Amino acid sequence: MKAIEISGLGKTYKGRKGTRIQALKGLSLDIMQGEVFGFLGPNGAGKSTTIKALMGLIRPTAGDALILGERITSCTARRNVGYLPENPSFYDYLTAEEYLTFVAKSFDVKGNLLEQRVAESLKLMELWEARKRPIRSYSKGMVQRVGLAQVLVHAPEVFILDEPMSGLDPLGRALVKEIILDLKKRGKCVFFSTHITDDVEKVCDRVGVIVSGQLQALDSVENILRSGLEGYCVQIRSGVKRLDVFDGFEVLRTHDPFVEYMVPAARFNEFMALVGHHSAEVMFVETRRKDLEAFFLEIVEKGEA
Amino acid sequence: MLNLVEITLKSILRDRVFHGIIFSALVFLLIPSVASLSMRQMTELSMNLSLSLLSFILLLLALFLGGTHLWKDIERRYTYSVLTLPISRSSYLVGKFLGIAIFIFAVACLLGLVAAGVVVFSSGIYPPERPIAWDNFVAAVVLDALKYILVVATAFLFSSVGTSFFLPVFGTICIFFVGSASQQVYDYITAPATTDISLFTKKAATVVYYLLPNYSAFDYKVNAVYGVPIAGSGLLLTLAYFAVYALIVVALAALLFEKREMN
Ligand SMILES: Nc1ncnc2c1ncn2[C@@H]1O[C@H](COP(=O)(O)OP(=O)(O)OP(=O)(O)O)[C@@H](O)[C@H]1O
Ligand SMILES: [Mg+2]
Repeated sequence: MKAIEISGLGKTYKGRKGTRIQALKGLSLDIMQGEVFGFLGPNGAGKSTTIKALMGLIRPTAGDALILGERITSCTARRNVGYLPENPSFYDYLTAEEYLTFVAKSFDVKGNLLEQRVAESLKLMELWEARKRPIRSYSKGMVQRVGLAQVLVHAPEVFILDEPMSGLDPLGRALVKEIILDLKKRGKCVFFSTHITDDVEKVCDRVGVIVSGQLQALDSVENILRSGLEGYCVQIRSGVKRLDVFDGFEVLRTHDPFVEYMVPAARFNEFMALVGHHSAEVMFVETRRKDLEAFFLEIVEKGEA
Repeated sequence: MLNLVEITLKSILRDRVFHGIIFSALVFLLIPSVASLSMRQMTELSMNLSLSLLSFILLLLALFLGGTHLWKDIERRYTYSVLTLPISRSSYLVGKFLGIAIFIFAVACLLGLVAAGVVVFSSGIYPPERPIAWDNFVAAVVLDALKYILVVATAFLFSSVGTSFFLPVFGTICIFFVGSASQQVYDYITAPATTDISLFTKKAATVVYYLLPNYSAFDYKVNAVYGVPIAGSGLLLTLAYFAVYALIVVALAALLFEKREMN
């Protein structure tokens, strides 16, 4: 089932003195239920614009989108959506506990379940100690944690998160990744924007790269990583003196009696056959690939050209 | 929506400016001593002063709450987190309005009690010549509250399109003064004795009279102070006027807010 369906979405901002900024140019994208989707793009690419349009904050100037089959123009489309704005700010005269209760009530969570969910999400985001303090007194990262707690508190089917890891310490980032993986396990849809390729690599099923308002690439993370495979680094212990059988391979390092070779993916089997034949001992094999970052940079350069 | 009303009330009660305004209510305590300067009509004078002070505090609250509440939510980007909940913008706006309206009404009742205390105290020092018209007093306080709820509604209308607090606050002040005087102006130019005014001005004044809220219709202070009987029909008409006018203004504000871009 499709969780989010974006078709031909466009947004042109009208600036002062009649200037127009075309922030989004006919974006089409389908995201399935149970999928974790990373929305990658440089600053000003149109990620937040897309997300704000999905959440009904701004009106698209072209195209349309559905969330769980409901058109985004209606507030019922948000009934099952947890949204985290970028650099969020929440009613700061409320305490985290009060705010989460307010959000949960807005989603019709009631009674015992409400209390339980509020307590759970406060504890999960490590805000339990601070729950009785007004949000005004929180640090930036704590506010971001409130933001994550308020999407978890009503247990939606679809999560739309605008830079969920921003402002978090390494522990927080790891926690968010863990939470996203857990949501995936429970069959939820997570759509999040980020600039950090590593986050995408660790948790996403698919990734879309947006540059200057246009989708420049859309593929599964697995495919991208596989296509970026350059070869393997193989270290062997050369019990045999006949090292010259490996002459055709680039030597990366020697550290007697160990030698590391760079083996292109296409010649891996050939290399291993030689190893077997000459009873050399393989110490380790390491994949060498272009990571998502290199892929991302390539696409951004292409997109901006 | 109830949820939003609750949050709105909480926000008001925790606001420092509100604390300041309520603190100013201490001025009530001064009224008996000021009123005692006029020996003869001490009760009338203290009722007059109390109702005026009550009215002034409500005006400040209405301007401050009506003019800055929505704007603050937008300015501080609370709207991103609140308007993306599964509630429509209309119910958000109506919820906020109801919260403030309930609050204004509650403050009016509370200050009304304080004012009554002041009047009772004054009448104890120098007994009035005629009995105090308590029913008129209650009517004056309640209608005053309704008047300022209407002020909040106009402030919301301005806030629904304004991008700063300037338009809501000053727009509302302008409307308030013009709306308070429009009845007099209208009566003057439509009086048969008035001949030196062009037809166009007359028409324009009539349009303004019907378009702007007629705040003077809510003024029952004289009836309360001097015990002038209030006609039931007039009271009903004012209540109906309030209901219809507030409904139209809030609906219009909601409509405009629905269309607004949040960025
Ligand atoms: N309210 C606005 N008025 C005019 N232009 C805007 C407005 N909001 C965004 N833009 C423009 O739209 C483009 C996309 O902005 P958007 O916020 O969607 O980028 P983003 O991908 O979220 O960037 P970042 O990674 O920095 O958050 C930018 O060029 C920006 O200048
Ligand atoms: Mg952004």
